[in-house]
Amino acid sequence: MTDSSARRDAEDAGRRLLAEHASEDPFAAAFKATRMPMIITDPRQHDNPIIFSNGAFSDLTGYPPEELTGRNCRFLQGPNTDPESVAKIRSAIDEQRDISVNILNYRKDGSTFWNALYISPVRDRNNEVIYFFASQLDVTDVKSKEVQLASAKQEAEAAVAQRTQDLVDALEAKTTLVHEVDHRVKNNLLTIASIVKLQARMSTDDTVRHTLRSVLNRVEALSTVQRKLFTSHDVGRFDVADFARELVVDIVSALKRDDIVITMDLSPVFVPAVKASPLALIVNELVGDPVRRGLSDGGGEIHLSVKQPNGHFVIEVRDTTEPVPVNSEEDDFGRLMLETCLRQVNAKLERTIEGRQTIVRVTLMVDN
Amino acid sequence: MKIMIVEDEALLALELEAEVEAAGHDVVGQAMSRDEAIGIIDKEQPEFAFVDVHLVDGPSGIDVGRHLAERGIPYVFVTGNLKRIPEDFVGAVGAIEKPYTMNGLQNALDYIGRRLRGDYGVRPPPSLVMAPARHSN
Repeated sequence: MTDSSARRDAEDAGRRLLAEHASEDPFAAAFKATRMPMIITDPRQHDNPIIFSNGAFSDLTGYPPEELTGRNCRFLQGPNTDPESVAKIRSAIDEQRDISVNILNYRKDGSTFWNALYISPVRDRNNEVIYFFASQLDVTDVKSKEVQLASAKQEAEAAVAQRTQDLVDALEAKTTLVHEVDHRVKNNLLTIASIVKLQARMSTDDTVRHTLRSVLNRVEALSTVQRKLFTSHDVGRFDVADFARELVVDIVSALKRDDIVITMDLSPVFVPAVKASPLALIVNELVGDPVRRGLSDGGGEIHLSVKQPNGHFVIEVRDTTEPVPVNSEEDDFGRLMLETCLRQVNAKLERTIEGRQTIVRVTLMVDN
Repeated sequence: MKIMIVEDEALLALELEAEVEAAGHDVVGQAMSRDEAIGIIDKEQPEFAFVDVHLVDGPSGIDVGRHLAERGIPYVFVTGNLKRIPEDFVGAVGAIEKPYTMNGLQNALDYIGRRLRGDYGVRPPPSLVMAPARHSN
């Protein structure tokens, strides 16, 4: 069968259809006049051609009626039409059932539109399918908004993912830097201590050795702060009680005397990192003082208490020793260190001496 | 006791050596890298070692520790970052955290000396972080 004979057959079928409906038939009139693009196809003819289309369909697709009649609707498809949608339409036609699908179609001028296509079989009295009726609706606006929305969402998600990665990278870089700086600070503090110790070791002069040991003692208090600050989970806080315990045990153990009794009453007291160094130096002086006054020479008792009753932070060192003469220069230096650090953290000090017992109590308010 | 020191900072190694000798031990070798340390272990057969984790050739102190553990030589890690040490301490007795103090180091040395002489009654000082108890199979 040639194309022209096929078109003639389709035209005939269209005319027969019209003949069944007088021009005053309101259904026919409605079909022709409606703004909804519609076509009718004839499945009993070869390749189910269009036998009738309305003006709205020509307006939508750009094809005049004479170029439509006799052709299968697939000419509306193009390179970007989803083959899956096409397959759905084909199987609905084959199975003679309704179908509703959104499909990308092409106009005569090559431009595209999103077509909300609805196809429904029309049956005669014998339930034979004699026509297919199809209506189209241009939903390009809706579809493009959906596409825009989807792409906007995708862009936003990509931006969030990028930002998250940037933050992860920045955090990693920062962590590496903090570890590197921490490593250097620790090594430098230990190197400073080593230099002081080496010189003390090489010196034959007791005074020089003594002075260098005194410097070493304060440097090491600071080193310990650095070690403890970074070991804790919360880098920003420092437990004074933990520091005090280690300090007193280390100092007294190193004296290697079995006639010193240590007692402790400690509960964790956390202070912000900025107060860690002055407080460590304060504890260092409080413990160092009784060691110099007699513990290292004649033994005795030392009691250490670090507590935080009702908001006040109290460090107390109570010692019982047989007093020995102290080096006044060293004593003055220790006192100056203590007073300066007390001023730094705005703490006050009370000293009580009863016979061989000395009680030194430092009180300061801790920020919440 | 014959002791090896593995430390890539010369000044720290020198000072540690002085402390070890002051405690009555002999330092049989100082190493700054993994290969140097392994050479000393095989040649000098030290009885104990101090091992820094980070050496000139990277975090190879762990390898040195493994080598010591395989030969049954007790040792401690000396490091600024305890988290660098594997959880099982690769057979180390414990670790001394940097920056240690003179007292802390002397107390750790004293404890190690006693323990190696078989005195298990002594308590470890705060400056020595002990390895987790090993399960016997």
